Amino acid sequence: MPDADWPAYWNPKHETLPREALGRLQARKLHRLVQGAYDRSPFHRRRFDAAGLRPDDIRSLDDLRRIPLMTREEWMQNQAERPLFGDLVTRSRDDAIRYHLTSGTSGRQPLRVLDSRADWSWIGEMWCYGFWGFGVRPRDIVFFAFSYGSFIGFWGAHYASEKIGCLVLPSGNMTTDARVRQIVEMEATTVCATPTYALRMAQAAQALGIDLARDSKVDKLIVSGEPAGSIPATKRLIEEMWGAKCGDTAGMTEIGTIMIFECDHQPGGTHIIEDNFIEEVLDPETGEPVPYGKEGERVVTSFGRDFIPLIRYRTRDLVKKVPHDTCSCGRTGDIYAGGILGRVDDMKCIRGTNVYPRAVESIVREHPEIEEFQIVLTREDGVRDEISVHVELAADRQDAWQGMAKHLGRALADAHEGLRFNLELAPPGSLPRFELKAKRLQDRRAEGAR
Amino acid sequence: MTIHDQQSRPPEHDLHGVEMTPDERELLDLFRRLRRLAERRDLAPCVSANVKQAMVMVWNACNDLALVDAPPGHD
Ligand SMILES: [Zn+2]
Repeated sequence: MPDADWPAYWNPKHETLPREALGRLQARKLHRLVQGAYDRSPFHRRRFDAAGLRPDDIRSLDDLRRIPLMTREEWMQNQAERPLFGDLVTRSRDDAIRYHLTSGTSGRQPLRVLDSRADWSWIGEMWCYGFWGFGVRPRDIVFFAFSYGSFIGFWGAHYASEKIGCLVLPSGNMTTDARVRQIVEMEATTVCATPTYALRMAQAAQALGIDLARDSKVDKLIVSGEPAGSIPATKRLIEEMWGAKCGDTAGMTEIGTIMIFECDHQPGGTHIIEDNFIEEVLDPETGEPVPYGKEGERVVTSFGRDFIPLIRYRTRDLVKKVPHDTCSCGRTGDIYAGGILGRVDDMKCIRGTNVYPRAVESIVREHPEIEEFQIVLTREDGVRDEISVHVELAADRQDAWQGMAKHLGRALADAHEGLRFNLELAPPGSLPRFELKAKRLQDRRAEGAR
Repeated sequence: MTIHDQQSRPPEHDLHGVEMTPDERELLDLFRRLRRLAERRDLAPCVSANVKQAMVMVWNACNDLALVDAPPGHD
């Protein structure tokens, strides 16, 4: 069937549902979720009992706020006290078909997750909303720059592509150069990677003398795993280097799949899959809801995963919700403007000025000559905090440094109340490269204090 | 019509309270039949495993259309 003949939505019935009906559906599913969690998850039952709540108390979305918020720390503690999986899970390990781990950022103990056959079918289904929404169709050839390991990453996206009927190209064990060559040779139309790795593949292609915009058939990049997929400068750079449009998605191991995706109208944000999730935005300090257009912490309730009922889970993700009609695609799912903006704990305070890594990246990425960078925080003489940006330029663009350093330093200072950023040129190939979540901030201030 | 027939007959309305279309009714009926097979323990491995695989896929379609409100179990 020609692409134009397919409906624009994966699920026309729900993706265009009036918001009142969507709210009623969420309330009904919430009641069922809470009842199931109370009956089958001792972890949830204890929390409900402690709060003096019974499942039948949850009748409408207004009752949602009576449910206590759940944190990752509680979940980690539950698994530590009752190894291996804790008693948050509703089913025995015998019912599971797959085991995954969180990526363990920030040096924390990873979370262990189990999923059933139905869970995995649902995980793929959520990715289908996103892939179809960004224009993936059965004729597409989808390349996954993904290592297919214990991190859940693009596993669900792989199944979604197969479910849609695409030809899937997995590349688990391939080098970056081999991936680039296969994308061209196999005429891949869609490439899935982290934003960082999408840039890295484009840089590798240039070194191989391949112009992806000219030599490849790629017209869609679907990125995930880092906030950069919605940073305009990063996204623009990816789109220019690939000659393709770039769509952002975001998910988390704790829910197993994505809960937001960018549609092909590219509204500068990501639609929430609201028939399967309730996404609240709360003030991280007070826990009070924040209105449309104001930044706050994502709190997620997920309906589809049988093994792990997630109810009002604090994600520490920073987001800004705007109404669905900010986008012209017709979907009634609200939007996170700018996708995931960062982490609530990302903000660093340097000599009284707040610095977000995302803001630094958006300025650094205005310079396409910069291949990689690192932000390094140090403490001098035990008191004075310093922020440095180590910048690595493309091997053939070293001459750009003098002019760029001046401009970059000024742009960073202007965006941060005049704060001085120390800029250092790093030799080609010296900074770390990333296939999964990039770690571009090193806070060494505690080391200096010791 | 026996009581059993009445109970196993698909309801008339989806979770929104809207009357189901003939396609939706058929889909829900198919899901329920597959789930009944998935519950059985006396089927050959090749039948049981493939029925479960099919059942969870059809469940997704029912879930997407608000014909069911919970994961299927027996998977
Ligand atoms: Zn849209």
